[in-house]
Amino acid sequence: MSDFTTIGFNERKVDGDSLVTGKPVFAGDLDLDHVLHLALLASPHAHAKIVSIDTSRAEALEGVELVLDHRNTPPTRYTTAGQGYPEPSPYDARMFDTTVRFVGDRVAVVAADTLEIAREACGLIDVEWELLPPVLSIDDSIAEGATIVHPEEDASGIFDAARNIAGAVEAVVGNVEAGFADSDIVVETTCETQYAQHVPLEPHIAQSWMDEHGRLVIYTSTQVPFHARRIVSRVLDIPVHRVRVIKPRLGGGFGVKQEILQEDVLGLVTLRTGRPARWEYSRKEEFVSSRTRHPMRVRVKVGATSDGMITALEMDAISNSGGYGTHGLTVLSNAGSKTLPMYNKAEHIKFSGKAVYTTMPVGGAYRGYGATQGCFPLETAIDEVAVRLGVDPLELRRRNHIRTGETSPLFEELGEGRKGVEMTISSCELGKCLDSGAELFGWEAKRSRPKDEGRVRRGIGLSIHMQGSGIPEVDMGAASIKMNDDGSINLHVGATDLGTGSDTILAQMAAEVLGLPLGKVIVLSSDTDLTPFDVGAYASSTTYVSGTAVVRAATDVKQQVLEVAAAMLGSPADGLMLGDERVTSPDGQSVTLAEINLRSLYGADQKQIAATASFVPSESPPPFMASFVEVEVDIVTGKVTLLDYVAAVDCGQAINPAMAEGQVEGALANGIGYALMEEMVFDGSGRVRNADMARYKLPGTLDLAPIKVILVESHDPTGPMGAKSVGEIGINGPIPSIANAIYDAIGIRLTETPFSPEKVWRAMRDAGIE
Amino acid sequence: METVLATSLDEALDALTADPGATVLAGGTDLMVSVAYGDLRPSSVVSVRRIPDLHRLDDSFVGAAVTWAELERGPWPAFAEAARTAGSPQIRAVGTLGGNLGTASPAGDGLPFLAAIDAEVVLVSRAGTRSLPWHEFITGPKSTALGAGEIILGASIPPISGKQAFAKVGARSAMAISIASACLLRDDAGSTRIALGSVGPKPMRARRAEEMISAEHSPSSAAIDEFARLVTEEVTPIDDHRSTAAYRRHAAGVISRRLLERCLP
Repeated sequence: MSDFTTIGFNERKVDGDSLVTGKPVFAGDLDLDHVLHLALLASPHAHAKIVSIDTSRAEALEGVELVLDHRNTPPTRYTTAGQGYPEPSPYDARMFDTTVRFVGDRVAVVAADTLEIAREACGLIDVEWELLPPVLSIDDSIAEGATIVHPEEDASGIFDAARNIAGAVEAVVGNVEAGFADSDIVVETTCETQYAQHVPLEPHIAQSWMDEHGRLVIYTSTQVPFHARRIVSRVLDIPVHRVRVIKPRLGGGFGVKQEILQEDVLGLVTLRTGRPARWEYSRKEEFVSSRTRHPMRVRVKVGATSDGMITALEMDAISNSGGYGTHGLTVLSNAGSKTLPMYNKAEHIKFSGKAVYTTMPVGGAYRGYGATQGCFPLETAIDEVAVRLGVDPLELRRRNHIRTGETSPLFEELGEGRKGVEMTISSCELGKCLDSGAELFGWEAKRSRPKDEGRVRRGIGLSIHMQGSGIPEVDMGAASIKMNDDGSINLHVGATDLGTGSDTILAQMAAEVLGLPLGKVIVLSSDTDLTPFDVGAYASSTTYVSGTAVVRAATDVKQQVLEVAAAMLGSPADGLMLGDERVTSPDGQSVTLAEINLRSLYGADQKQIAATASFVPSESPPPFMASFVEVEVDIVTGKVTLLDYVAAVDCGQAINPAMAEGQVEGALANGIGYALMEEMVFDGSGRVRNADMARYKLPGTLDLAPIKVILVESHDPTGPMGAKSVGEIGINGPIPSIANAIYDAIGIRLTETPFSPEKVWRAMRDAGIE
Repeated sequence: METVLATSLDEALDALTADPGATVLAGGTDLMVSVAYGDLRPSSVVSVRRIPDLHRLDDSFVGAAVTWAELERGPWPAFAEAARTAGSPQIRAVGTLGGNLGTASPAGDGLPFLAAIDAEVVLVSRAGTRSLPWHEFITGPKSTALGAGEIILGASIPPISGKQAFAKVGARSAMAISIASACLLRDDAGSTRIALGSVGPKPMRARRAEEMISAEHSPSSAAIDEFARLVTEEVTPIDDHRSTAAYRRHAAGVISRRLLERCLP
């Protein structure tokens, strides 16, 4: 591993210079002539039927080109989820429906010469509403006689529309009842997580136009360009070959841009008018009309023997999917599938759950994707098992966690909304994560000090985590490489860099295989006309799935290079060495990559040295993490202050360690915000009360602890260069670690996030701590 | 929207008189948010930042165009503490005391200090200059006694002796609108004043608590408890998206106690 020349080095981001110097690289930077500006008329009601809609006054306004609503748009049912086809999400949405199902749902869109005119025209649309009973919570949704959110007959893929169940899942291994009966202790807890938004710095934005051949081009800030092309083609009923989707640089996504929220409407406006169109969500629209994290209520029951072995695990989750079922089933599934397999000594496991419809904002993909919600009750219950047995929670996890070469029956029983894939863990350094994390954190010393008894009480907590590296037997990534006459390469990937730096690490992989400096790799991502297919950036797939495709394509190109060199050097290809931009024979003769390509392009046996390769994973090796936090709780105000945070992560071989650490640090900050303050607050009619960044509190640097990330040495034999993916896992740590630390500090187990001062204060008051 | 960049009081007053729909702009950190949210659409804007008279800052007066950043380094410790909690460094670089007074938010970070010291707000118009005690200037949530054609000149600061402190409770460590805030002054004789923000329709003084604790020269812990209890009784908070009334009331008592303890010898 140590003889890498690029892998494992902190190379500068290939797009870093253009980003920091403010080059026009984002979707909104494109300045199109005669562009139409789109504005959304969003539903003011949580649940209502459109009795009639009159757009004549809007259409009559000078400068208005087109008004779209349910009367002049395709009625095709589809899902906005950018997932593999066929999607595991129900087809329960229309471009514009006759019923609205959350405050912020689409009612109409105006296309006009200026944004001001478009907005003014929205105000001129007269809608006659028939108000329907709102369904504002999980309890409302599952109540006897609850209002049905999706009674329409043309929807498909809904698990049980009459009972508001968008999706349901159950996976059983062994017999949990027998398992609990045989356990020495059983711990049960139910935790609830809240609505939160991704808050990407760049809200949704896309532009569209007709190219010189009359094809529709959509230039969009998306994580899923190929899914966007397929869904636009389906909804607008135009052939895939008439649509081109280009993804420029992104200002963040975190999952919210795994949804097709603008491309369909933009496409239709451009097709109808022939004019370019531009649609940018305001920050308020990003909060109100885009997607959120599914709030969940998750019950966990853990059985253990008196010697601290976990024997039975049961998890039952109810997820609030909001008005539509997008990602409902799969996020729900991951609450179990990305948490329970860590405790693979348990012979009895049961996971069940349902994603229910409400008339609240729609859940979508959000970093962590259900694991964040599931690990909260699981890791706090495991902590409680340790407390009751008098065992160090660190030691309890050492005894029980999954290891290299082992499996969990749940891998096969529980996939993303369907059966999963049997797999053996090809690398797991959780033991090392626990050891090195505990050492840097000072777990032993902090654990053995006397408890604080004053106004401010310190506590420590830990939790362990897993995620995945792509969706096995579903995700596909492909890469194309061609070599130029100076020995440089073009690397074309469908993989979608959304600010994560994936262009850089994929370039590092290609450079490593081909003995090139990073500057000789020209990366293009992503353009459905120019780059090969990739499902896109989600499910922690890019490093592992797309990376393997890059390594395969580069390996193919390398072989072609060696063959040309063999002819030039008169020496068999299999004895040649490629490195430092040249090929060297055993007798010391060499030719440069430039010479090889000049010959191949202009000299003898002419051909383009190039290759395309694909990869579909047969497994999804999880990254692992041990998360440690120290807090202090002010027992008078309830304020929780983070004093120290250590996360030790096994992501296999880090391709670019600084960027891998950055992913973990960012995810931890993201998770700390969700644990302590981020929360969408609603009024009694389902309206968001804090739909801006002044009132929706993201953590600032002063709210974060000193965060220390350790990348433990690891190598996954199935991964590209030994790598696994690491974009999501960090976000799962803060909630259970902080909850366990608060328990350690004040002896109270909080079961509802966020752990705001007021909530902690109320919990202490209820417990008699003043 | 027409903008007048006034460089003298005369120019500004002319512009305000000429257009009754005009709004004064100083740092713009409140005004531009209202404009951006569509809550306000003034027919014209009179920028007062270049008027020298509004930049006066000495021991007895703070001009309306004095920024938070300047107050952070000003002569009053509690005012400086309050200034440090306002917004972000960018906001503090341009946001002004005059703006804080003009907006008159119950959560205005500068207002508890002004209330605690019994500051007077000085207003100027074509008719001349007048001074109003802070509680007559601020008439309710986001409403003031500022008349048509009038500009806030600044706040006059009476002499203060003894110790002073400010504290604020917010949903995060910076860039947070307060859930509760308070400023406490205590002189060597024990005379104590406490003003609170975000716990009523406008900044308020907890007079009964002041009276009770001012009589205690070296308060016992029971007296401090009673002081905090009286504060929680006197405040009149509401529930909103930031907090509940119950927590605000609790927080008001906690910070009042902590400020008092900081100001005891």
